Amino acid sequence: MFGFGKKKPKEPKKETTEEVLLTVERKEELLRTISFKKAEVNQAAGEKQAKIYEEIGLAFNELGEEDHAIDSLEKSIQAKKSLGNGYKTLLKLYNKKRAEAAKVNNEELLQIYLKKMDQMMQVSKEVTRGVR
Amino acid sequence: MSVVNFIIENILTQASVTIALIAMLGLILQKKSTGQVISGSLKTMLGFMVLSAGSSIIVGSLVYFGHIFTEGFHMQGIIPSIEAINGQAMNELGLGRDIALTFLAIFVFNIIIARFTKWKYIFLTGQAILWMATMTTVFGYFAGLRGVALILVGGFIGGVFAVAMPAIAQPFVRKITGMDDIALGHFCTVGYVFEAGVAKLVGGKGEKKKSVEDLKLPAQFEFLQDTYLSLMVVMTPLYIITAAFAGEKFASTLSGDTNYLMFAFLQSIQFVVGVYVLLAGVRLLLGEIVPAFRGIAMRLVPNAIPALDCPVLFPFSPNAVIVGFITTTIGSIIAMFVLPVFGLAMILPGMLTAFFAGGTAGIFGNLTGGIRGAIIGGVVHGFFITLLPALLVTTFNSMGFVNATATDVDTVTAALLYAWLIGPLLKAF
Repeated sequence: MFGFGKKKPKEPKKETTEEVLLTVERKEELLRTISFKKAEVNQAAGEKQAKIYEEIGLAFNELGEEDHAIDSLEKSIQAKKSLGNGYKTLLKLYNKKRAEAAKVNNEELLQIYLKKMDQMMQVSKEVTRGVR
Repeated sequence: MSVVNFIIENILTQASVTIALIAMLGLILQKKSTGQVISGSLKTMLGFMVLSAGSSIIVGSLVYFGHIFTEGFHMQGIIPSIEAINGQAMNELGLGRDIALTFLAIFVFNIIIARFTKWKYIFLTGQAILWMATMTTVFGYFAGLRGVALILVGGFIGGVFAVAMPAIAQPFVRKITGMDDIALGHFCTVGYVFEAGVAKLVGGKGEKKKSVEDLKLPAQFEFLQDTYLSLMVVMTPLYIITAAFAGEKFASTLSGDTNYLMFAFLQSIQFVVGVYVLLAGVRLLLGEIVPAFRGIAMRLVPNAIPALDCPVLFPFSPNAVIVGFITTTIGSIIAMFVLPVFGLAMILPGMLTAFFAGGTAGIFGNLTGGIRGAIIGGVVHGFFITLLPALLVTTFNSMGFVNATATDVDTVTAALLYAWLIGPLLKAF
């Protein structure tokens, strides 16, 4: 009725394709970016630091290294709240982790990720309303 | 027997105690430690009492406002505040226990529907479920339902809304976010879909359809940074202007030794204080119950799609939020003046609803009708979300509510379902 079932099975397929498409060259490029940016990040501060952490996080995410991606993207939001690609990716990763925790019945982890998703809503509210 | 009677007549009639006992049962079922059970139950009871205190403050201020508004403008001026409705229903109307039980029943029905149907949405915005429970209980009570029937019908209707609203929004949300694993859980969805429809009709089409996101707009609302400050920005001029219209002679009869305009100013702050206290109570009240529900729901419904609060969409279309907020505000101001012409009460504009509901609706309007759709659709949306609560005013008045009406349009839709369908059906049989 609302168009369910049609698109759902397609999306996971798309994600798998993206992972497969990661060529050796692209992987090396991402790893180079990460190591280069990591050296840069400690010398930066505030908004610039947030941007670099975001880039590192997005690169880790493309590599499929979710925990490292989450760590960097969290640091980015701690340095400066923003609602760019980093924010969207982090929310998506939290939701994925939340679903995994639910599947293995890990209540503690489930609550942690639900709480983190709540905090993301707060970040969105604050950035939109201009809270610094 | 006398002990049982004592328990029934003196303990279970106290809503705060019943609510604490419900929380206690939930915590015991989750096998929490004794310490956690005791502290959780006490916090829940404290939450209810704080909520009651907030409600009393709001009612005091609203009674005053009602008097000066009627004197000043010779009509009823209604403040849209779901918090004020919830507070009055839980305390002054004595529906606190029924609302708490309906709140739980909505959770349970949400889980059952998501578990056994293909709609896997779990509504995570606890506060919105409390508002829904308030409205189904109030209007169910008004329709003549009592006891278990009141709670089960309210729980079922609320549960259906908790799944249906994210489901209805999902085709739009999927396009906005580009993903299907997160949904929108905000009880203003009827308004969002309405704006999307209007925007589709009147908005740009094909190549002419330009997105608001292509424009350069100021990105932030500094005056809205704090919920309570932004409430004050609206309430204070509203009270002072109304007092001025009511005139010194009349307003002074209510203000005692204080200057009548100063008194109006202080009363407007009192309203904000009331909302502050009430929401602090709500947070305490839900602090124990909601995480427990979420944990249970997520484990019982494999592949659940979490329905999150409206800010989930803001990052995907920030300009549309601004356009939506401004146009919805304009629409509600137009409705404020137009509705009394048709014999309805004057609904005063609510800044926070215009921001959150209007902002999100703007995203929907922009999606289906581009800039043109978002602007025209937004104004019509503002009118629509003011009109629906206006339809409830007569019922609220006859039940003894003071100068307030509900805000979130899905809860209003549920209330109208009772008023227009369930109530007449009950009376017919």
